[in-house]
Amino acid sequence: MALAHFARRRSPISISPGMGIFIMRRWLLAWLLLAACRPSGRPAGGLTVTDAAGRTVSLAAPARRVVSLLPSFTELLFAMGAGDRLVGRTAWCDYPPAAHAVPSVGDGMPPNVEAVAARHPDLVVLYHSGPNVTAAEQLARLGIPAVLLDLNRLEDLGPAARTLGRLTGREVAAESLAAAMDSLAARPPRPAPPPFTSIVFVVWDNPPIVIGRGSYLHQLAALAGARNVFADVTVPSAQVSLETIAARDPDWIAVLQDSAPPGAPAFATRREWRAVRAVRERRFLLLPGSLFGRPGPRSAEAVRELRARIEGVGGASR
Amino acid sequence: MRWALLGSVAVLALLASVMLGPAAVPWGELAHSDIVWNLRAPRAVLAFLVGGSLGVAGAGLQALVRNPLADPFLLGLSGGAGLGAVVALALHLSGPWALPLAAFAGALAALGLVYRMGLVGGAALDPRILLLGGVAVGAFTAAITTAIVSLADAAELRNAFLWLWGGLSAASWDSVLLLALYAPVPLAVLMAAARPLDLLALGEEPARYLGADVEAVKRRVYLAASLLTAAAVAVSGVIGFVGLVIPHIARLAWGHHHRALLPAAFIGGGALLAIADTLARTVVAPRELPVGVVTALIGVPVFALLLRRWTIA
Repeated sequence: MALAHFARRRSPISISPGMGIFIMRRWLLAWLLLAACRPSGRPAGGLTVTDAAGRTVSLAAPARRVVSLLPSFTELLFAMGAGDRLVGRTAWCDYPPAAHAVPSVGDGMPPNVEAVAARHPDLVVLYHSGPNVTAAEQLARLGIPAVLLDLNRLEDLGPAARTLGRLTGREVAAESLAAAMDSLAARPPRPAPPPFTSIVFVVWDNPPIVIGRGSYLHQLAALAGARNVFADVTVPSAQVSLETIAARDPDWIAVLQDSAPPGAPAFATRREWRAVRAVRERRFLLLPGSLFGRPGPRSAEAVRELRARIEGVGGASR
Repeated sequence: MRWALLGSVAVLALLASVMLGPAAVPWGELAHSDIVWNLRAPRAVLAFLVGGSLGVAGAGLQALVRNPLADPFLLGLSGGAGLGAVVALALHLSGPWALPLAAFAGALAALGLVYRMGLVGGAALDPRILLLGGVAVGAFTAAITTAIVSLADAAELRNAFLWLWGGLSAASWDSVLLLALYAPVPLAVLMAAARPLDLLALGEEPARYLGADVEAVKRRVYLAASLLTAAAVAVSGVIGFVGLVIPHIARLAWGHHHRALLPAAFIGGGALLAIADTLARTVVAPRELPVGVVTALIGVPVFALLLRRWTIA
């Protein structure tokens, strides 16, 4: 009970083992909302988009006061030159530095609807998840248009950028951004350089939770020429046994870190983890959470950074 | 006959958990594989020790509070352990043993609080006060934990609950050694109380007439069972159903004499958790199920079946 509750509250980067239920719920909700919203009248003129939950969102004019409830959306809005339209962001929105000047409306998990409404937005952008569908409905009842967008994988970036561009009247800038995102998502995996190329992303150590094929991190690794040893796990992340990690023998252990002083993760000193060769050899990739913790306009930079780290720029244990 | 059956189930459970796993280890290399020796073997032994401890703690507490619903975690220990773990994460305590030690300390704090409540007004560990106090302290610590997790901005705090429900993935020879040195003391205290526990089942007054030092027995059993559970939480998180179901199953097969019941609960609890953990690691490989899910999935149907036979007979 408590676990499921907190799992749902976690940030989109550390996706929980409860994600299966979460996704099922999401689809059910999406389907119900789709069924409920079908026969909706559209106002003449103005902007109308259908969001990821199948809701019709209509604006009379491009939004001028936007609240973004996901760091990726904040980055996309700034990247298309709509950063000056932002009047609210989450506590996690730390990039670009100009985002810090935008007032925070809390951690956004789930959104504090009152704090969002207090910013008097004319558009709220939310990540498409169960609790956020509820928040979007609440905002809609307050007369505040809210749009739910998927952002789980690199191919979601292009469509999200186009939708945000339309709603903020930045279509041209959004289109070139979206085109760059689309080409990144469509890029074939880079052939692996010969030594040290297999990787595991460890999200949590006890129980061990790793990134699977369903995550954008798996895509980033493939584009950087690294093979995710848990490519057979189809969901974004899953709990696995330590012995599976040891047996699959990755060359690198990638860990996302938010804290400023980077250091080997605490589990590196635990005896049971020493059964994993990469732990014994201290082959950790300590990846900054701001760059790797979300798909966004800087994902190409994340790929280059990962590639550089794997190829040994900056030392073996960095 | 019963003992031989239980013994062979336990041995088979241990063998299976060492031989089976999500990683394919060739049969010839079983004896000298790093995965077998440093991951599977300590995990199997730890599962057995934890399951056995929970089984004995549950049997002792059920006799003490004379309530069939009693479970090692009922008396507020899981809430205390969770609070300890969250506080350790919030204070950024580092080191491989920070979380287990903090959880242990939290469980001890909850234990002390419930124990103190049990003595209020000369109640002398009245079972009803213990149960109510345990539930109240559990709810209170859970509320504080939730408040800390909601207010703190560190994303890793949210993972404290994963740790608390973690199961046996942190097993190593270190944790096995720790539990193997620690557990025999409370286990011995509980075994020594076997005869007075039989008398206590008759009620406190009759037990007193039959020569049991009721107050001392209650105190010893409560503290020993709780200290055993606190250590189990520290090394493996909260694993449900073993401590509730195993004592009942053992009682159905071995009767109400604690001299036989307690060892049977130890071996049975150990075997159940070793089997459950093997299944948790293998059935959805390479993914893993939380072991508490598996203990409930095996334990509850077995229990229902036995309960049916028991009530019909």
